[in-house]
Amino acid sequence: MSTATVPAPPNAPARPNAPSIPVRARDLLGCEWTKFRSVRSTYWTLAVAVLTPIGFSILVASAFAAAPPGGTPPDPLLPGLLSLEYAVIAVAVLGVLSFSSEFGTGLIRTTFAAAPRRRAVLAAKAAVTGTVTLIAGEVVAFSSFFADQAILAGHHLSVSLSDPGVPGAVLAAGVLLSVCALIGVAIGAIVRHTAGGIAAAIGVIVLPAIAALLRPPWSDRIGRFTLLDAARQVTALHPQPDLFAPAGSLLVLLAWPAAALAAAALLITRRDV
Amino acid sequence: MIELDRLSKRFGSVTALDDLSFTVRPGHVTGFLGPNGAGKTTTMKIILGLDAPSAGTALVNGCRYDRLVRPLHQVGSLLDATALHGGRTARLHLASIARSNGIGRRRVAEVLGLTGMEAVADRRVNGYSLGMKQRLGLAAAMLGDPPVLMLDEPVNGLDTEGIGWIRQFFKALAAEGRTVLVSSHLMSEMALTADHLIVIGRGKLLADMPTAQLIAANARHDVLLRSPRAAELAGLLTARGATVTPQPDGALVVTGLDAAAIGDLAAGHGIAVHALVPRQASLEDAYLDLTGESVDYHGTPATAQGPVTEGTPPMSTAR
Repeated sequence: MSTATVPAPPNAPARPNAPSIPVRARDLLGCEWTKFRSVRSTYWTLAVAVLTPIGFSILVASAFAAAPPGGTPPDPLLPGLLSLEYAVIAVAVLGVLSFSSEFGTGLIRTTFAAAPRRRAVLAAKAAVTGTVTLIAGEVVAFSSFFADQAILAGHHLSVSLSDPGVPGAVLAAGVLLSVCALIGVAIGAIVRHTAGGIAAAIGVIVLPAIAALLRPPWSDRIGRFTLLDAARQVTALHPQPDLFAPAGSLLVLLAWPAAALAAAALLITRRDV
Repeated sequence: MIELDRLSKRFGSVTALDDLSFTVRPGHVTGFLGPNGAGKTTTMKIILGLDAPSAGTALVNGCRYDRLVRPLHQVGSLLDATALHGGRTARLHLASIARSNGIGRRRVAEVLGLTGMEAVADRRVNGYSLGMKQRLGLAAAMLGDPPVLMLDEPVNGLDTEGIGWIRQFFKALAAEGRTVLVSSHLMSEMALTADHLIVIGRGKLLADMPTAQLIAANARHDVLLRSPRAAELAGLLTARGATVTPQPDGALVVTGLDAAAIGDLAAGHGIAVHALVPRQASLEDAYLDLTGESVDYHGTPATAQGPVTEGTPPMSTAR
């Protein structure tokens, strides 16, 4: 490392005029995007989130295809969704890390010193993580769909993308990853600690599923508000009659990250860092 | 310009800052001194809007920090050089910070050059030494070419060459009319770097004055004297207006008369003198005097009391 000569910056330090809000939003999005793409954990986590579920859905579809005929035929879209549920934790971790890695290293102080409007930082992180995981989720949803239907085609179980209800259900399946990543971002901002944040995210996403153990009709009455039941309802070709209709379930699905981000926005300005 | 007005910060029952007011002016390197735990970092975090004060205000260029738009153009700061994501390269670390304030890639390259980091800029910061991280932190602080710079212990981890370099760096920045606030717990370092000192202890302001003045005001001059007829000599010295403090081991500490005058006086009365040692409190002693009572955690009982040494053992603690 060499020693630099003493600098001679201009005498009047730059003081640009205050930029407009869209310009500042672009600043922060650029900042968070640079951070997101410049660490390896991003790529590992995304690889797990994309490849695992595609592979898993192929296994499930093969199992469906191999099942002996008779009984109620399984929902042809179920393999795609079941497998996405395995990617949920990976993207939740990605979301948690967006904040917890900065709190863990102390980098968050540099971030907030550069951008004192902390809710804007939260929004930028949510936008970057949410967008990337939405794209990843749709890639998974459509890849799984085509792979699964190719396997099921020979067994009269397959559906086509042109069948009614199918495009919406496949698109909705792709949203699940983004929803869980955003919950992760919010929990990362609230819990601030990686291990604790991941545990909390898993708790929020998966734990409500114990509602299924309740005595009917309570299992459905409470279960329909849970994230994963709502996701199954939105993405099923044949929704269950006891739960909310797909439109209502979509609202439930989106309400979870909305509530988590609202809580994070409330807390993020109140605490010392 | 940084202005603190009656700043207080409490963490539960602990008072970290207690009614702290001072102003840091442009054109100087201002040293921010205090023992560990005095509240230096807390003060800086409040200035940067990271911690909320319990009372009082902190203004930068007349503005609360959280109201600044693109604040890196106003204040460059370095709180903790190790606060980095280890897997990111220096260049991308700087690029991400730069983009948050609308600063371009060219400026990133400039600050890397400014701090002598070009050669390692594309390596992950995991492998950096503390000194390299300090330089990277300084590069980040310079991104917005700000009129105010605030750095927490920037000398930590630098080698001798690096310390000399950073000293020149700060002086050049101050000479350009910038406000430079540098914290340290080492008085000796600040004496060489800063021309103005703000000293705090336990969250209270202890001193706020030019370095030279602080040294003059706190440095003590006295003479250690040993004589077989100490009591007699003490009377003579007191009569001449000197202040005499007898020591437990029989020695006398005299202030108000220099060694020559004391020697002449003793000779004039035929009193033998076995030791006559002029002592000058060092800068470090002045600092210890100032902060001695405000240090939270003492080590051994032998701490920070009075002027020490010049070949003589410290004053006995056996009482």
